[in-house]
Amino acid sequence: MPPLLAEIAQLVVNGVMAGTILAVPAIGLTAIYAVLRFPNFALASHATIGAFAGYIANVKLGLPILPSVGLAFLVAGAVGVATDEVVLKQFRPAGFITTAIASIALTIALENIVRFAFGNELRGYALPIERDWRFGSIRVGPQQVQNLAVAAAAMVMLFSFLAFTRTGKAMRAVADNPMLASIKGINADMISRLVNFVGMGLAGLGGMLIGLDTTIDPLTGFRSILSVFAAAVVGGLGSIPGAVVGALTVGVGEELCLLFLSPDYRSAVGFVAILLVLTLRPRGILGQRAY
Amino acid sequence: MSLLTVENLVVGYSPADEVLKGVDFCVDTGEIVGVIGPNGAGKSTLLKSIAGLLKPGRGSIRLNGEIISGHPPRDISRLGVAYVPQEQNIFPTMSVRENLEMGGYIDPVGSGRKIDMVFERFPILAERRRVAARALSGGERQMLAMAMALMVEPKILLLDEPSAGLSPMAAEILFENIVTVNHAGVSIAMVEQNAREALTIAHRAYILVDGRNHRDGPAATLAGDPDIRHVFLGG
Repeated sequence: MPPLLAEIAQLVVNGVMAGTILAVPAIGLTAIYAVLRFPNFALASHATIGAFAGYIANVKLGLPILPSVGLAFLVAGAVGVATDEVVLKQFRPAGFITTAIASIALTIALENIVRFAFGNELRGYALPIERDWRFGSIRVGPQQVQNLAVAAAAMVMLFSFLAFTRTGKAMRAVADNPMLASIKGINADMISRLVNFVGMGLAGLGGMLIGLDTTIDPLTGFRSILSVFAAAVVGGLGSIPGAVVGALTVGVGEELCLLFLSPDYRSAVGFVAILLVLTLRPRGILGQRAY
Repeated sequence: MSLLTVENLVVGYSPADEVLKGVDFCVDTGEIVGVIGPNGAGKSTLLKSIAGLLKPGRGSIRLNGEIISGHPPRDISRLGVAYVPQEQNIFPTMSVRENLEMGGYIDPVGSGRKIDMVFERFPILAERRRVAARALSGGERQMLAMAMALMVEPKILLLDEPSAGLSPMAAEILFENIVTVNHAGVSIAMVEQNAREALTIAHRAYILVDGRNHRDGPAATLAGDPDIRHVFLGG
């Protein structure tokens, strides 16, 4: 394979891996938006909290990666429900802009609590050192593949939950037509708590997966929130399949830009993607269908 | 005792802005009762208040003698009152079958059997069971909205302008369906702009004007009244 083609193929593979991981918190953001109708930027700090919960489980308690990932989901989901009940719910009657701004304040507060508890230093998970797998000229890390499998499994479970369970369908119904859902007896408060648990749980899971690929610190979530937000907007804010499509687009785009630009400019891809979508197709690639 | 009794109902956004100014209304078991009147008369507000979507300022709403006014919509629905809004009365991205499942959300026992019964009554919905509801025609959407309401096996169905925006042919099919549902034992309270058609299928009717009762009586009597024909039925 010519060197340029090999480089492009490697970047596309890396992009698909990164995009699949990015899709996990992006689904969380878009699911919360679909039901509660505001972009919850506190997702950033919940990704960090998930990453640290997984760190405690894996490094301090010595648990293997998979149970640690499960714990990251559960802790971030529980914190998400608690912070929404205590903080964000009080702002919702004031409208979505006020609530979105409150979510930024919340994320700064939570991030600093993590900083207070763990300090600023970079931390890594207890991972075995393994050789990359080679497929021709393309190299893939075993941990990357495991992360991809976890992200894909989380998405399959979420899609199955939404498609086949009564509660999952009720969640879609509230996203589709909240007034009618209330007439039909669907408890909107219960659905709000559930979507916060699942959405922030996915953020925590995503935060840990990002950390498994690199390292973690109190800014882990903050650094990825632009890409997550871009993925959700590109796919169609409020659309769960759209978040997957958007995340793959942004993931591959961020990698391919390395052909022309220094890695310092990688995050510009998110800005450009948001700008292009809002200009050319404001409802996103798949529109704003919840499912 | 009537199935549904509304007495001296006052509903408004503020004391100075009352939409209903003391309305009396009742529906007996097995009846179709029409509510007609000019725009802004408070017809839809009456149905929304019965369904629990608006809180009455004064007056009472009773179902089988039990007060239901002020109860949340979920509880009222559980008691057997099914409300079909005029617009946005389906879940557009969900399939026809999923819409029916959500229609029966509060009473999931026997959901499959009830869906089969609905499909038997509305074969067109059975044909389109896997189609997203937003892809249905206007008439099919109204049919689905009514079918969703029937999933809780209601005592009374509240229909808010069911024929709005439908072609004459689709409206005719819809009115036929309303009569069929009524013959199956469901009482119906129906707000309708198409006053002539409403009076044709209704047993009794109420005319509201400016938030107050104007006239009521057997639908055939009202339809035959020259004054009412002139003002409300276009001559």
